[in-house]
Amino acid sequence: MTNPQQRETVKDIPVVVLEHLTKQYGSFTALNDLTLTLNAGQILGLIGPNGAGKTTAIKILVGLIRPTSGTAKIDGVDCVSDSAKIKRLVGYMPDTFGSYDNMRVREYLDFFGATFGIAPRIRAKRISEVMETTGTEYMKDRFVESLSHGMQQRVGLARTLLHDPKVLILDEPVNGLDPQARIEMRDLLIQLAKRGKTLLVTSHILPELARICDRVAIMTHGKLRAFGTVDEIGRQVSQQRTIESQLVSADQVSNAANIIRQAIEPGADVVEAPDEAIVRFRTALPESELGEVLTRLIQGGIRVTQFREVQTDLEEAFMSFARPQEAIVNKSATVGGAAHA
Amino acid sequence: MLNAMVMRELTTLMRRRRMMALQCGLVALFTLLVAIRWPTDARMALTGTRSQQVFQLFGYGLLVTLLLILPVFPATSIIREKKQGTLALLLNTPLGPWRIFFGKLVAVLSLAGIILAMSFPAASACYAMGGLSLYGDLWRVYQLLMVAALLYAVLGLLVSTYSNSIDSAVRMTYGLVLGLSVLTLGPHYFFQGTKSYLADLGEILYGFSPFGAMMSLTGAGDVGSKGLITKTEVLGQFTMTSLVLSVIAGVWTISRLNHTIFDQARSQGTISDDQTQSVRFFRRLFFLVDPQRRSSNISSFTNPVMVKEFRCRRFGRLHWLLRLVAICAVLSLGLTYATTAGTFDWGVETIGGIMVVMQVALLALITPSLSAGLMSTERESRGWQLLQTTPMSIPRIVWGKLLSVILPLMLILCATLPGYVVMVYIEPGMKLQVQRVVICLAAMAVFAMLLSAAVGSLFKRTAAATAAAYGVLLSICALPLLIWLGRDAPFGHKTVEAALSVNPIAAALSVIRMPGFQDYSLIPANWWFLGIGSIASLLVLLAQTYRISRPQ
Repeated sequence: MTNPQQRETVKDIPVVVLEHLTKQYGSFTALNDLTLTLNAGQILGLIGPNGAGKTTAIKILVGLIRPTSGTAKIDGVDCVSDSAKIKRLVGYMPDTFGSYDNMRVREYLDFFGATFGIAPRIRAKRISEVMETTGTEYMKDRFVESLSHGMQQRVGLARTLLHDPKVLILDEPVNGLDPQARIEMRDLLIQLAKRGKTLLVTSHILPELARICDRVAIMTHGKLRAFGTVDEIGRQVSQQRTIESQLVSADQVSNAANIIRQAIEPGADVVEAPDEAIVRFRTALPESELGEVLTRLIQGGIRVTQFREVQTDLEEAFMSFARPQEAIVNKSATVGGAAHA
Repeated sequence: MLNAMVMRELTTLMRRRRMMALQCGLVALFTLLVAIRWPTDARMALTGTRSQQVFQLFGYGLLVTLLLILPVFPATSIIREKKQGTLALLLNTPLGPWRIFFGKLVAVLSLAGIILAMSFPAASACYAMGGLSLYGDLWRVYQLLMVAALLYAVLGLLVSTYSNSIDSAVRMTYGLVLGLSVLTLGPHYFFQGTKSYLADLGEILYGFSPFGAMMSLTGAGDVGSKGLITKTEVLGQFTMTSLVLSVIAGVWTISRLNHTIFDQARSQGTISDDQTQSVRFFRRLFFLVDPQRRSSNISSFTNPVMVKEFRCRRFGRLHWLLRLVAICAVLSLGLTYATTAGTFDWGVETIGGIMVVMQVALLALITPSLSAGLMSTERESRGWQLLQTTPMSIPRIVWGKLLSVILPLMLILCATLPGYVVMVYIEPGMKLQVQRVVICLAAMAVFAMLLSAAVGSLFKRTAAATAAAYGVLLSICALPLLIWLGRDAPFGHKTVEAALSVNPIAAALSVIRMPGFQDYSLIPANWWFLGIGSIASLLVLLAQTYRISRPQ
């Protein structure tokens, strides 16, 4: 597995640039002042709950939706005014596979190759290449509608690669895939990034994104809440760190929890897990004061085997952004309901 | 539990906004049918002739409406559930196949009942005019309509269990309805009065058609009205045949409603090129153009959308078209030969008429099925979104799609040309007529294609698009013929001629001087209508395509 930070393909050439992008449907704001930049060869993971505005942003980039205001550019080409050029620059894979009845995989790819005006001889070669890349060679004679979901996703990816686009925009490429297919798709995306493709990927499966993305953008209710590398986002979230203390005996969990409660900020989260003989707590104390907590535990006769910080993962980061928004929405719904009542 | 099934089906059907519009439209249509012939002066015909004339028009109108509207509901009923995955859920409940079947059947029949109930005010108006018997006329017409509704509902459900897609179910059901109600009249028309086994076969087939029964009920005379005695027991014959067919089809449908409907392996994509030489040889012999051969790349000079459309169709593939063309060519040559050899004493006009009817039937049946789903299939399968992200322009996409319909239609039209050539050889004086007929047919093909494509482009779902396109096209073909059935009484020559001038079938039949149509002069009025109609349809199609392609 290649770590995103280890890839050498990341260059400082901005390829996808969104500036103050807003889309409104009447009084409803689907996308609110979205600004972000993606460099060549990078993978951007766009995450957010349903209705966060991810697909709206993607559809603006591929020219299927017009923004209400703001600009979207790919490789310097405006997505609104120059949609003909955009079609050649971008390979778009929607969240649903657009299949045709009675069409074999090879015929399907041949058709889309022909729509891009690729000459027959070059097209045949190109189809073989993308089939090899996506591992779809063995299904070339199968009918597209008879393929499993995972196979269809691969064929969909092969289709987006046919005209050799600079940027790949993939809407939920791993959605509905089994674990093995998910791992294969992940490796495939990394391979493509290594070949210099710039990828914009949306997904609900956060650990997958964390493993492959150079940049992550978290969106809720049409707004960008956080943007950066997974570590940067983790740091944005973790004003408070989660510390885990592993004990020798489960009997001491309760005592340990009491000592910790006295040592850290009043009212802070302290969770006892007697089955695992672990006490977890969240704190904003600096390193020096954390050492004091450990000293107190040892002085209190608690036998500690490990005392470590738990890294904030993408899921946790996502939830820390999504939860407050949910609370706001729920609160306003309750107020509205009460007002109606 | 049956009640729950019926309620669900009916609620789903009735809460659509389109159903409301349909019901309002039906009331307006039936009112119009009666209003057209409502007496305008104070005098009253005591014989009841006037009310009989109104009733005749009303009866045919009701039957045609029922046949155009009803079949789409049973045809899509089971296949839609199968596609949505709810059929598996239903079969997993304690309902059992027969309850599912009867639930769906009762729902469709209730809908038929609602359609018929919409006509009660108009029927009451007919009755109020006098000269009509409540039991002898009105009740028997409604009885015939309910029996027809039952038959086509059960057949639609049966077709639905065998179909693989919603639009193919609609296509097959309308084909079956057209075949059973109209084409069954053909042998009787041509062989009545002769003493041959063909005449007996014609008699039997005649009993399958609700139109034959309606003709005998409304006193319109026998089909073709050759001065022979009209059969009086046609209604009984139709009722019996329909009930027997309904029972058979019903049992058949129930036997299909189990796990076997899902028990199909995914296609492994067998390719003839990978099979043995003998298999390849037999497939070549059988198919001429083997649909399972490995296709070559789309050439640079070909419109890729056209090729895609051909490849996507089961029926539109070349082997099917070649078979169809071969059948058309053989039939047209056979008919012409039969006349030349003196087997039938029909005359060149009648043979020409048969060929025109055959071609028109093919065009009316095939064109909407090829053309109506051109846009809606893309939208339904989400392929449109992908096409929008390719550099292909809208006119090129539309042209590619239309080409995929034009080519099969040209093949069908060309298939009967040998027959016409032989006809002109026998009767050189008919050269001009034949030329005009060919123009009429070509104009009809273009009109039917553009009209179906335009109507279909207004819908998101292929089944709705196909049903609407069939409805509109068959209305244009059938409604003027209703007026024609009432020629001389109640309608005058001018009214009939004006009504027929929009009908492409009538235009071709009048040009070939088919008995019954030879007195009407329908061209160039019909060509003007078709021309303007085609241009308007093309504009609607382009406008709608631009509308759905525009970024939101």
